[in-house]
Amino acid sequence: MKKLLVILFLIPLASLPQSTSFDFHSPKNIKKFADYLFCEGDYIRAVEQYTTVKNIFHSDTINLKIMLSYSNLNLHKQVFEFYLNEIFFEFEEDAQKLYLKNSFLVDSSVFYANLSNNLFPFDMDQAVANYFLKLRSVYFIETRSKEIKKEELLKPFDILQRREVEPFIDLSVNPDYKSPALAGILSAVIPGSGKMYVGEWGDGITALLLTSLFAFLAYDNFKADHSTRAWIFTGLGAFFYAGNIYGSVASAQIFNARIDFEFSNGLNLFLEQKNYFLPDYDFCN
Amino acid sequence: MQALSKDNVTLRPTLPASRQAQCDNCRCSFPFYFIALFSVLFLCTSAFGQLDNLKWKKADLSYEKPDHFRKRNYSFQADDAGEFIKKSFVNAYWFFISDVDGDNCPFSPSCSSFFMDGTEETNIFQATLIFSDRLTRDANPIKKNRYPHGISGHYYDPATNYTLNQGRIKYLPPEFIVEDE
Repeated sequence: MKKLLVILFLIPLASLPQSTSFDFHSPKNIKKFADYLFCEGDYIRAVEQYTTVKNIFHSDTINLKIMLSYSNLNLHKQVFEFYLNEIFFEFEEDAQKLYLKNSFLVDSSVFYANLSNNLFPFDMDQAVANYFLKLRSVYFIETRSKEIKKEELLKPFDILQRREVEPFIDLSVNPDYKSPALAGILSAVIPGSGKMYVGEWGDGITALLLTSLFAFLAYDNFKADHSTRAWIFTGLGAFFYAGNIYGSVASAQIFNARIDFEFSNGLNLFLEQKNYFLPDYDFCN
Repeated sequence: MQALSKDNVTLRPTLPASRQAQCDNCRCSFPFYFIALFSVLFLCTSAFGQLDNLKWKKADLSYEKPDHFRKRNYSFQADDAGEFIKKSFVNAYWFFISDVDGDNCPFSPSCSSFFMDGTEETNIFQATLIFSDRLTRDANPIKKNRYPHGISGHYYDPATNYTLNQGRIKYLPPEFIVEDE
């Protein structure tokens, strides 16, 4: 009897989900799923889902999210195309900023030339123009241009951002380069000193020891009338002496390349951390 | 039959009455089932073991040190006499000394290949200076954290960085691992 009751209870319970019509693919649920994907960082699939419901909701938020997704995927061309094909209302300013950011990422020099020739497909209001000036400052910092004064480069940034951007401006104008010519001259006077000047102490000491050793051996053999050996050591000494001068110049150049690399890397890291001065959208909380 | 069952009772006096009744009723005893199951398992595992020869076969081991260095060009093809003389010296060094000595240069490309690259990038005079500088850097025992590594574990140090052409220098940080040496 008990078993029969349990079966009678379970049959309708099992059949209930089958009979209930739950539409997983309703626009509302697709949007919910797209929101979930967007917040999880699965931008490719989020865009797919948003695109299917975009024309049903006619929401600015969805359009901006699609643009943000393309931007986060570095699909710059799609960002431009999407902006040109859609009409924004509430987020027009944000969409324009995203457009600018992506044109800056494609090629900063083209980005700057576009403004000079008024090639952007929109008129900028005050906020967007200020955002453009920020990116323009970054462009001048990146290219180490001295066209614009420091005060003017800092002007578009607020006080907190100025503190962060200022060291980059200082480094771009006065990089900690080493002079290749000075390194060469130093090594010509005291072998290895040019390398020490560049900061390569190990190489500098090795060059000094090698050159000194062969110079001493040449001198000692000349003194002892072993002219053949003396000339061999003279040749080896000259070989390492000349190489030490050349190497010091090359080391100074490599040092400068390292300074450029670290500056560029640091600036890019800073820009990525700051999301290229775009606002932090609170879509996922 | 009664006598047998009595005997069994005397052999297992500690069993409870209900269990005793079960044992008396069953046709085959517990040891029989155990032996049968063990035999089946034993046969199966033995048969599987025969098929598992691939796992236990002799491994093809090679004790040769893997050579990650790029393939050397031993040809004597040259456009001019100077090139031919240079190639002859380098080929002789590779064939009689370097290949016999083994992969001992800490750098990639090796010093001799670096010299060859130097001559291709610049001229024989400048390449000699680059080579001399490389030998000095090679003699320095403290090279760690100064050069990026190649996948072979050697310090990656291409000749293009030493042509005195600032635009051609490709700086890579020491923590970088170069895949295409």
